[in-house]
Amino acid sequence: MHPMARTAPALELKGRLLSTTRLRVLRADLAAIETQLADLARQMPQAVKGMAVVLESDESLDLGALLLQLRQHGIQPLGVIDGPLATAATAQGLAVLPRDGRTVRAEAPAAAPAPAPAIAARRDTRIITDPVRSGQQIYAEDADLVVLSQVSPGAEVIADGCVHVYGSLRGRAIAGARGDASARIFVRRFEAELVAVAGIYAVAEQMKDRPRGEPAQVLLRDGKLAIESLGN
Amino acid sequence: MAKIIVTTSGKGGVGKTTTSASFSTGLAQRGKKVAVIDFDVGLRNLDLIMGCERRVVFDFVNVIQGEANLKQALIRDRNNENLYILAASQTRDKDALSIEGVEKVLNDLADEGFDYIICDSPAGIEKGAHHAMYFADEALVVTNPEVSSVRDSDRVLGLLASKTRRAEKGERVKEHLVLTRYNPARVEKGEMLSVKDVQDILAIPLLGVVPESASVLTSSNSGSPVIADAQSEAGQAYTDLVARFLGEDRPHRFMTVEKKGLFNKLFGG
Repeated sequence: MHPMARTAPALELKGRLLSTTRLRVLRADLAAIETQLADLARQMPQAVKGMAVVLESDESLDLGALLLQLRQHGIQPLGVIDGPLATAATAQGLAVLPRDGRTVRAEAPAAAPAPAPAIAARRDTRIITDPVRSGQQIYAEDADLVVLSQVSPGAEVIADGCVHVYGSLRGRAIAGARGDASARIFVRRFEAELVAVAGIYAVAEQMKDRPRGEPAQVLLRDGKLAIESLGN
Repeated sequence: MAKIIVTTSGKGGVGKTTTSASFSTGLAQRGKKVAVIDFDVGLRNLDLIMGCERRVVFDFVNVIQGEANLKQALIRDRNNENLYILAASQTRDKDALSIEGVEKVLNDLADEGFDYIICDSPAGIEKGAHHAMYFADEALVVTNPEVSSVRDSDRVLGLLASKTRRAEKGERVKEHLVLTRYNPARVEKGEMLSVKDVQDILAIPLLGVVPESASVLTSSNSGSPVIADAQSEAGQAYTDLVARFLGEDRPHRFMTVEKKGLFNKLFGG
């Protein structure tokens, strides 16, 4: 284990929930849009001023002109939902955000079959011997993960490859974190809070009828999560 | 070299201060030179439990900030001449503590020849708790046989294994489970987690089981650690616990419901 660096860090990454408004363009008619924006600004000036919005449109339009209109009313565009506006948004330096209906974790690619990615060099299997405690998160990047003890509720064990828990799994196990659908999870005592393979997940509530406390493996069969007993 | 022991839990109200007070007293009764420090800045209670709240002049923060020296701040226990208490500040806030400040106080105590330094941690996992556990050699993880407490203790075990000086050096903090407020009747009814249930989840060695006892409240009200009450089951459990800590082999008591014979039921107390 390396001693913690003594120099003060320059950055800190923290999670934050942000309230934004989604602005959907129904008709790509800039004149009509301007009229509607002006009405809104008149009716609810406090709400409109400084409003942070994410733009969405099914048609392409002059994004530069739209941004100008929005900004003139004090609206702050943060980004666009992926679609016809994506390329223009990138050119304007705006964020492009994923479409709805994606329950995949950030690391996994879209559900559509991705072109075979360049196989990342596989690293040595990571072996953990101590219990993984609540609040701890172990991530075996480009590797398999083996835990020779228990995984507590509230703990997460994640691997780009397979996850093996030779103890009780009471927390979360995520295999194929970067999208490897052939990854599996093997557990000696299955009592998991959540399991996922290549972004397809199930929570304990959904796994109620699975035998608890027994050896099990989790894998994808035809894109669906399957939890099967492991032979004795 | 002084051994630094932290009493921690994560969950509040499970018996950390009760345990710190009785554990320190027990060690002192065995002839060890012990200092017990209250790390709960702003919400101090160790001084109340130890019965020295009317003798606090200088506190932990005063010493860290150089406003008083250790000799001025340490309060000698009335009943045990080798037991000293360092109270927390009640008026300052947690930002007054610093890792360097804590380190200096612990080193100064070690230089004064203390055998054991008990750090009574506040609840939670934030700065106060972090400072209390950072320099620990060993930890008493105080847990109630109840799901939230067990979950929080598990979290704390994770922190002991990663965010302490020993962890940073690749060494281990020796962990001991102290299961408090145990009620064997409720365990038998299935209303409360058993010792085995808790050990199954936390997987650390059991130092002692302290039964739920009215004497704990009585003792804290009178400013005396419950270990001083020889009649009390909780007090006796702490005596056993200290003995085990020092290497003695003592069977665990107070874990099963006392089966009273008919005679006892009719005439016994």
